[in-house]
Amino acid sequence: MDVLKRNNVRVSGAGSQAMIFVHGFGCNQRMWRLVAPAFEARYRVVLLDLVGAGESDLTAYDSARYGRLAAHAEDILEIMRALNLSDAIFVGHSVSAMIGILAAIQEPDLFARLVLVAPSPRYLNDVSYTGGFEAPDIEELLETMDNNYLGWSAAVTPMIMGHADRPELTEELNNSFCNTDPAIARHFARVTFLSDNRADLPLVRTPTLILQCAHDVLAPIAVGGFLHQQILDSQLVVLDTSGHCPHLSAPQITIKAIEAFLNHESVVSSI
Amino acid sequence: MSEADDTLLPELDLRLTEENPEDLYEHAPCGYCSCLPDGTLIKLNQTLLTWLGYARQELVARLCLQQLFTIGGRLHYEMHCAPLLILQGQVREISYSLRCKDGTILPVLMNAVLRRDTDGNPLLIRVTLFDITDRRKYEQDLLRAKEEAEEHRELLQRQNEQLTRINADLDSFVYTASHDLKQPIHNMAGLLTEFKAIATFHDPEDDKMIGMFDQALQQILKTIEGLTEVVQRPRELEQAALEVVDLLPFTEEVIRSLQPREVKDVFTLDFATVPTLRIARTALQSILYNLLSNALKYAEPGRQPRIRVSTRLENEVPVLSVQDNGRGFDIERHGGQLFQLFRRFHPEVEGVGIGLYLVKRLVAQAGGQIEVESEVGQGTTFHLYLPQ
Repeated sequence: MDVLKRNNVRVSGAGSQAMIFVHGFGCNQRMWRLVAPAFEARYRVVLLDLVGAGESDLTAYDSARYGRLAAHAEDILEIMRALNLSDAIFVGHSVSAMIGILAAIQEPDLFARLVLVAPSPRYLNDVSYTGGFEAPDIEELLETMDNNYLGWSAAVTPMIMGHADRPELTEELNNSFCNTDPAIARHFARVTFLSDNRADLPLVRTPTLILQCAHDVLAPIAVGGFLHQQILDSQLVVLDTSGHCPHLSAPQITIKAIEAFLNHESVVSSI
Repeated sequence: MSEADDTLLPELDLRLTEENPEDLYEHAPCGYCSCLPDGTLIKLNQTLLTWLGYARQELVARLCLQQLFTIGGRLHYEMHCAPLLILQGQVREISYSLRCKDGTILPVLMNAVLRRDTDGNPLLIRVTLFDITDRRKYEQDLLRAKEEAEEHRELLQRQNEQLTRINADLDSFVYTASHDLKQPIHNMAGLLTEFKAIATFHDPEDDKMIGMFDQALQQILKTIEGLTEVVQRPRELEQAALEVVDLLPFTEEVIRSLQPREVKDVFTLDFATVPTLRIARTALQSILYNLLSNALKYAEPGRQPRIRVSTRLENEVPVLSVQDNGRGFDIERHGGQLFQLFRRFHPEVEGVGIGLYLVKRLVAQAGGQIEVESEVGQGTTFHLYLPQ
């Protein structure tokens, strides 16, 4: 199996050190479009779609296997081995922040830095933990997804792919950027929102930057604090922006925060 | 046409100029609002305010568009719509629910576009909301129906798998049982022969009983061999390759292999329309052998048997027919049981009731169907539909 094809891996940029950007739930690698190019001058930029999203190989989505985030982490490690990467910088948004953590715990030597964008180790509230959500909230999200999938059946996806060379046709297809197979999206949503990776956080040995949005319904401010406290070698930066996607709503300050973290190598590592 | 309109318009009707854009915005039959890129509400029309039950000053600059949605919609907006607005500048037909001030829920369909400033930076989002209360009910019915259909499909699939498994178990049971029975029965036959050779019988009735015993043994052996064949043949066929069989020489060969018996002038073969069939050889061999030997076996006593084997096309599908002028049977009474295992309608003729069961299985395995016509005293015709 060609893992690079499976995950629609795109490599660009100059430089020896690799920077891997992984999108979160609800979209694909295009989410990095306002941020990733800023690093192409200094890094080898690797973009990919998680299996089940974007232009990944949807047939590879086995819901039993991808019932755990660890399966996506294994995919990331496979891609890194296929590209012969080590000492890499991993940038993961939302659920992919946890996927990056799992990968870095498993193969610490492959990772130099972790950048977690709007991360949350657990979305559901628990005893003395505020994730922000109760189980019925997640059920309601799944219901909203169902209501929105009525119109775009799975049959739409091949059409979008078929018109990849004719953007004018693609544009007519609603919301085509983030379309995917509804059954997969539903399953991935369940896996994402019911996951609990709190116990993994103290196992992280890689220097980590936590980028927390000031007003993010998906990752309340307390969650950023919790992550910072649990991950040994971590910095917490609160970005003055709303929403869950600072790399889209505030790309410049996101780039600056990541650059500052990458440029102060010695200071961070010596903590 | 437009030129004509231009000249006619001013004189037509004064009401045509009455529409007021301000009033249209406020009281349009849909909700309008404008927001900052982060969703902060900056302008709403009266229709939307009326739906929500809020006063303007409660919302403007105080709440975000996504805070008007129920939690599921809010999450969906943050993860899906907000990125899409920046990536593609618009979203269309997104289904959400508004939470009104009094707690009631209003299902809406949302379209939104992103306006950028001259530098290309996001400036504001314009949103249109349509009340879809009735449509949402209908959609939810559809969703429920879809879920039910899906559940039924899964149930059927499970039952299907179970049945397939049971069928395979039954087949291997039949195979094992017939295999295990064969040896002791062969032993019994051997012992009987030995017994006949050494024993002396005084009563002539004894000889008759011995003969009946022998017959019964032969009958059991045939049944067991038939059972073995019923299981083994379809199994072999799973691996057998399809080939083009030339029907005339093939059928002549089968006729030659029938029990030694006077078959002159009995068979008429007509394969002019469809001279060949694409089928596994061994399957066709079993099918023809069983049908032809049955046709001979159930000939009407005292009448010269005439058996016609022919092919034709029906709706592009080749049909192989075997017609006889034998005893026939009451199709009304027995038609449903004809192809069942061990089912027999002519007890006076020797047989074990396996042949037609095997034929039916083989035809089904070849993807075909079998039909039968029969009339008591006139004869029987089997039609085998064998799609190529």
